[in-house]
Amino acid sequence: MALTRRQFMTLTGGSAAAAVLFAACGVPEDELLVEPPVLMPEDMVSGRDNWYATVCRECASGEGVVVRVMEGRAKKIEGNVDYPVNAGKHSARCEAALQALYNPDRIRGPLVRAGERGTAQFEEISWTDAVSRLSFRLQNLRGERRQRRVVLATQPLSGHLGLVVRQFADKYGATYLPFESIEQTNLKTAVKAVFGQERPPDFDIENASFILSFGADFLNTWGSPVRYSRGYGNFRQGERERGTHYHVDSRFSMTAANADKWIPVKPGTEGLLALSIAHVIVKDDMGDSAAADALTGGDHSMLDPYAPDAVADRIGISSEKIHDIAHEFAEHSPAIAIGGGSAAAHTNGESSMTAIYSLNHLVGSVGVQGGLRFNPPPPLDSIAAPPSSGALSRWKTVVSDMRAGRIDALLMSGADPFYALPGSLDIRTASYDVPLIVSFSDIIDDSAAMADLVLPKHTALEDWGSDAPDFGPGYEMVGFQQPVVRPFFENRGAELGTRGFADVLMAVAQGVGIDLELGAETFRDVLRADARKLYDLRRGSVSAPTFGAFWNGVLQRGGWWDATATADAGAASPQQLDEFEEPQFDGGDGFDYYLTPFSQTGIGEGQRAHLPWMQATPDPITTATWRTWLEINIHVAEDLDIREGDVVKVTSPRGSIEALAFPHPGVPPDTVSIPLGQGHSMHGRYARDRGANVFAILAPLEDSKSGAFAWAATKVNIEKTDAWVRVPKFENTVPDLPVDEHHRVYQTTANDS
Amino acid sequence: MAESWGMIVDLDRCTGCQACVVACQSENNIPINEEEHFNQRRAIQWIRVERYWEGEFPNVRARFVPIFCQHCSDAPCEPVCPVYATYHNSEGLNVQVYNRCIGTRFCANGCPYHARFFNFWEPEWPESLTNQLNPDVTVRSRGIMEKCTFCIQRIRRTKRAATKSEGDSSAETIFANPELERALSPACVNACPTDTLVFGDLFEMLSARRAGERLPKPKNRAQEIVRRELQDAENGRGYRVLEEKGTNPSVIYLSKVDKETVEEAVSHG
Repeated sequence: MALTRRQFMTLTGGSAAAAVLFAACGVPEDELLVEPPVLMPEDMVSGRDNWYATVCRECASGEGVVVRVMEGRAKKIEGNVDYPVNAGKHSARCEAALQALYNPDRIRGPLVRAGERGTAQFEEISWTDAVSRLSFRLQNLRGERRQRRVVLATQPLSGHLGLVVRQFADKYGATYLPFESIEQTNLKTAVKAVFGQERPPDFDIENASFILSFGADFLNTWGSPVRYSRGYGNFRQGERERGTHYHVDSRFSMTAANADKWIPVKPGTEGLLALSIAHVIVKDDMGDSAAADALTGGDHSMLDPYAPDAVADRIGISSEKIHDIAHEFAEHSPAIAIGGGSAAAHTNGESSMTAIYSLNHLVGSVGVQGGLRFNPPPPLDSIAAPPSSGALSRWKTVVSDMRAGRIDALLMSGADPFYALPGSLDIRTASYDVPLIVSFSDIIDDSAAMADLVLPKHTALEDWGSDAPDFGPGYEMVGFQQPVVRPFFENRGAELGTRGFADVLMAVAQGVGIDLELGAETFRDVLRADARKLYDLRRGSVSAPTFGAFWNGVLQRGGWWDATATADAGAASPQQLDEFEEPQFDGGDGFDYYLTPFSQTGIGEGQRAHLPWMQATPDPITTATWRTWLEINIHVAEDLDIREGDVVKVTSPRGSIEALAFPHPGVPPDTVSIPLGQGHSMHGRYARDRGANVFAILAPLEDSKSGAFAWAATKVNIEKTDAWVRVPKFENTVPDLPVDEHHRVYQTTANDS
Repeated sequence: MAESWGMIVDLDRCTGCQACVVACQSENNIPINEEEHFNQRRAIQWIRVERYWEGEFPNVRARFVPIFCQHCSDAPCEPVCPVYATYHNSEGLNVQVYNRCIGTRFCANGCPYHARFFNFWEPEWPESLTNQLNPDVTVRSRGIMEKCTFCIQRIRRTKRAATKSEGDSSAETIFANPELERALSPACVNACPTDTLVFGDLFEMLSARRAGERLPKPKNRAQEIVRRELQDAENGRGYRVLEEKGTNPSVIYLSKVDKETVEEAVSHG
């Protein structure tokens, strides 16, 4: 619409005739738009945007995203509509990859320690210098045949980055040890035992009639939440009849809030409840009889000790309720049992998981629509292995080796053990006897602060990569991650700024003189070489006449997948159930409350604490932000004279922290909950010295079988202090207006408009 | 232009995951909500997820309700503005003209949904974070009122794109093309993992409702939902928040299904 000054005056100056015209015709054809963004026709210039597909690395689920890029800057992240995991949707966490990219506290170049270790005083050096320093040290250790004494720690890595790291550790001879603060180890060992599968199953939530979840906050932080949420929307209001969802948990989580029934059980008894449900199903002959025989080893009486009447008191719910749950679960087919989160974080975590997932066999939900599907490995041998997780038991060994001077170098990327290992292991003092600590972090986190050498890596939006998701869509897929913008610190020259982690490892390997046998010089070429193997399969989501076109297609669509290449469920035969094992807790007399920590929607377990959007994302249940709070039952709080915002000292046998009290009606009286993720001594301006670190007071108990961290097995005591701090929360409490029967202050009816 | 943009919020789908909240902050250059802002109850969230408690342990429930500007047809915020900074446009949007706003905050007083937010401070970002700011959206300065715009910049941009590619920028054309639909839909709608939020042109529905007539034949997916859920007062789940205030909102909520209530109704029926 071109608008001259004269027309403008006519329209807005308003002659009487024009006013009449307006009233008569409704909206004129050339109505002047006065609103944001103000569109003045003469200077109507809008920038061009490009959307590039890549894989989000803010959480382990790996959503496929498209990033809006204008003039070389990333502006907005949205879900990739084509991508199998999330199909166009994304979580609050994906968006924050932008703030990781443009974080004001990012490391701008390689650093070498200049002060005492742990004081985070560094000097900048060049990349050539940094890589040769590391290569030189590693080469010397190799010369002395001490490669095993080099520990390489990363977050669990999937795809080609995992390949490069494994090859590096393998060819050099280092000890590779993944680090995961909230471990999936028990889930994986249980899935292996129950289904004979390497990867967690996919849940067909959309087509299920009944979901029984134990501990796993699967709509919020556990597994692949966006994927599950997509199914959950249709599970509630899709084409089919509305599904029913019961959630078993010792904490009232976001998933519990969404369930039709929340079943609060005593911490650590989730597996016992699963066995009791199995008992009812078998006894009332509601399940698959072949599976019942296999699970009990032919002797149904093995489940007798778990009769609801016998175990109800230990679980903390009535035996009628157990009957009800079992009947609902067995009578609404297809039904899914999901376990994880705090249910897996006890000393009996693995056997609980085994019992919970075995319920799927019992109701015939394995490999059927609306039940469990299995994830086949991707068709590339190089990345077929799922990411491994490092159990706490292995980390304990490493820390004691460190203390004994048996570790010569500790290399860390994406892992922050100095923050997230249980405080009583005291990795900090143990590390004083490690001659070389190297961090590849993009920000000075608690672990990087202890490093002698920092080789900062690109953030995910600047780097190459691939993903064969652990919680996949139930068929073969490989997601491709590409740099959507040039490296942010590129203007500092090739010798400063950041580099891709895989490329740095490859350069170090070259410096040390080892061959990683990757068949390519750069990480991008490693990916490209394997993409050619996908091309040669001649199937899947991208078909192209030439490899060049295929490569472009794969990057444009965000990856390669073949929805017809599903896994064989036939291999999953039920195994005999284990006996229930009593959970062990740390803390006896005087420690009256079970402590159930939880991952936060935004900052997770602390890995996203440097991103202000994540810090400011309200917790769905409390709407609290930015701080560490303690969820406590309203009546217990009343008895202890604790009000919201009172600073409470939380003491476990391993130490104490302070948190702000947040009494709410959804907390079991014998339990308190504290969010993980705050209490960093470093990690950028938005995280530093804020709140308290729960890991500091968690007992380093482990699962009796897998050695995984039992992070929900600590008991605590709470004590009110004199201090009070306002809880920064989004919700407001408005007092009711005083109601006076005779003086209505304000009254309105439907016809008052 | 005969659209009347509206939104549908299916509370039975909403899980309270906050994806909409962060997507909105990223798209619309909302200042960083620091701890102090929360403490003063001055944090800005154009869309927020409210949580309501029912009962207490062990029979406790929490309900999530996403609330944002309801783009009321009879908006209480509009007539009170002395400088016409907020007015209703021809597309059914309640728009805020930032460079007219003088910060009287009368509109925020009038809004029963608490959907309007005042910039008590000059918005500040560390320099590197400004690289993320959306060039299509004005950064509001101190003393300015702001609120949800239904991502009007996306509507404008997509209409221009549709005019170029399809020769027509009507809602029908745009919603017939999934790519254009996605480009036009607000950031929160695209993010929402459970499809709680559905955006669309509700012109026929809203005007019939306003006139107290029967709802006409639906023209698109959003209208279908509205007709199905709002027409039938007995079985439909549709309602509008604080409708009794006479605000005529453009946002239709579908109530949460309470399983126990349903069972009770069946057993008594």
